[in-house]
Amino acid sequence: MKTQRVADIVVGCLVALFGILIIWASTLITSGTPHKLPPETFPMVVGILLLICGSALALKSWSIREADLAIKWPDREGVRTILVVLASIAGYIALLGRLGLPLASFLYLAFSIWYLKRSGWLPAIVISVITAAISYFLFIRLLALSFPAGPFLE
Amino acid sequence: MGFSFDYLLQGLLIALTWQNLLWAALGCFIGTLVGVLPGIGPVSGIAILLPLTTVLPPTSAIIMMAAIYYGAMYGGSTTAIVVNIPGEASSVPTAIEGYELAKQGKAGPALAIAAIASFVAGTLSVIALTFFAPTLAQFAVLFGPSEYFALMFMGLSLVISLSGRALLKGIISMALGLTAGLIGQDPLTGAERLTFGSVTLTVGVDFIAIIVGLFAISEVMINVEQRLTTISKMEVKSWMPTWADIKSCIGAMLRSSTVGFLLGLLPGCAPSVTSFVAYDLEKRASKHPERFGHGAMDGLAATEGSNNATSTAGFVPLFSFGLPTAPSMAVLLGGLMMYGLQPGPMLFVQSPDFVWAVIASMYIGNVMLLVLNLPMIGVWVRIVRIPFYILGPLIVFCALVGTYSVRFQTFDIWIMLIFGVVGYFMRKLGFPIAPMVLASVLAQMLETSLGQSLLISQGSVLIFFDRPISAIFMALAFLSIGRGVWAQIKAKAPEVVTDDAEY
Repeated sequence: MKTQRVADIVVGCLVALFGILIIWASTLITSGTPHKLPPETFPMVVGILLLICGSALALKSWSIREADLAIKWPDREGVRTILVVLASIAGYIALLGRLGLPLASFLYLAFSIWYLKRSGWLPAIVISVITAAISYFLFIRLLALSFPAGPFLE
Repeated sequence: MGFSFDYLLQGLLIALTWQNLLWAALGCFIGTLVGVLPGIGPVSGIAILLPLTTVLPPTSAIIMMAAIYYGAMYGGSTTAIVVNIPGEASSVPTAIEGYELAKQGKAGPALAIAAIASFVAGTLSVIALTFFAPTLAQFAVLFGPSEYFALMFMGLSLVISLSGRALLKGIISMALGLTAGLIGQDPLTGAERLTFGSVTLTVGVDFIAIIVGLFAISEVMINVEQRLTTISKMEVKSWMPTWADIKSCIGAMLRSSTVGFLLGLLPGCAPSVTSFVAYDLEKRASKHPERFGHGAMDGLAATEGSNNATSTAGFVPLFSFGLPTAPSMAVLLGGLMMYGLQPGPMLFVQSPDFVWAVIASMYIGNVMLLVLNLPMIGVWVRIVRIPFYILGPLIVFCALVGTYSVRFQTFDIWIMLIFGVVGYFMRKLGFPIAPMVLASVLAQMLETSLGQSLLISQGSVLIFFDRPISAIFMALAFLSIGRGVWAQIKAKAPEVVTDDAEY
């Protein structure tokens, strides 16, 4: 998917397939009480819209060969950084329930700042400790929001 | 219920209580900060903070949210002028003129003119909002479900047709937003839809998670990829503009306020569109058009003025009809609904204290922004220098806290992450984001009003065409779609989207 044209063809096909999935899913909806607008109608319309527009986008992009643009994808290093960033956010979410907001935030921030800076742990530790402390005192203690506090602070 | 000075005065008294003044000041400060910081814009800012304001009374919360919004619209100019990075598409002309001025050693006066132009346009627009919104709300009382459906349909079609030459991508974006909004229980019959047997999905996908993902997380991904390490070396010593500077910009401020406000009433006419229109208009009206592109103070004033006028104008359809015209307004609409307030004509009748206090607070907020921003220009310039390796993870932290605090479900933050990835690819592949956001917020309202209309008409869709108001909206919607289709056929060019990243 190096150029806009190829990307539009691929995405158009994927959207059309997704439209078919939504149409199929709407046929599974059980109506229950009768209504002038049954619950499956709107999802069905949206599915059909996705199918038509996805196919139209793929066909249109396939037929136009001129004025193609290159997509600015990241280089290998950029891709690796994005994947690490996404994995660290996923880890943060996964740890939130087990370790609680302050500790999970501390670990996530310390790692992410260190990783993006690529040198020195000290600023990462200082900022993450301060943020973790703020998250505990502001959100859990002061505002009494239902964040998991974690095994040590419950 | 039309405009009345008594109501405005009453609203002013509520807005002037020390608590509300404090929240407005905090909103202005946070808003400017959100605007100044690269990687986070008004939509993500409001969406992240909205759930956290549930500890406040509704009036104070919305006063703060509105202040964050117009504060952020102002704050965007700082990064544009000082480091030549337009935080939003609407700040592109600001960057063109402002950075040239900064290179000439006039960064301070340029920032001050941006603040003054924002203040003038913001205040004039609030005056217009004060008279426009209640008048339109009187008209909106005549609206039934069919008129609301037609209005929302027109709003969505305008947002799509204005998203550049990307009609198909706009419709796909809208349809995906509708799909997300339809997951869960049907509002009319309670039937489970698109849940694929998952119990977690029956509660539906929260729109805050979608918006924070689409804007904040995808923005972090884009910045990480570009290895953004914004560190400005520019020093701002004096911020005082000369009297000649101000005088040369008065005309630009007034013209851009009018253009920005009037265009801002239309759905889809985002600040990113109106700021370019105002900038172009000013170039034509200027006695020195040759200065444009080389540091024209009046060009800068026009852009910043129209920017703020458009942001304020968005409150007119929001308050009068309950119709959001831009993603940020959609978040505010969600906020109002979270507090059990139904925006629309009845808002002025049922909650006059609330609506007039919010409008009155905007007068105060604009003064606060000016007072806050002029002396603090140096501070904001220093904040621009916070490196992204610190800012990026902190944005993710705020995004997670904001999204989680809506329903306290881990599922929502997974959705946020998924939509972050979706948003990243949408930006890369040139899909407009605005239709998706508006559709995800409007999906249930759209379906409910359609269902109610069909119930009234015994299942006949002619109800949308035989009532005059809905017929006009439907005609406009089909006209805008027809115009888009015609432009597509005529252009025979690839789908190109205008930059609507955030407004």
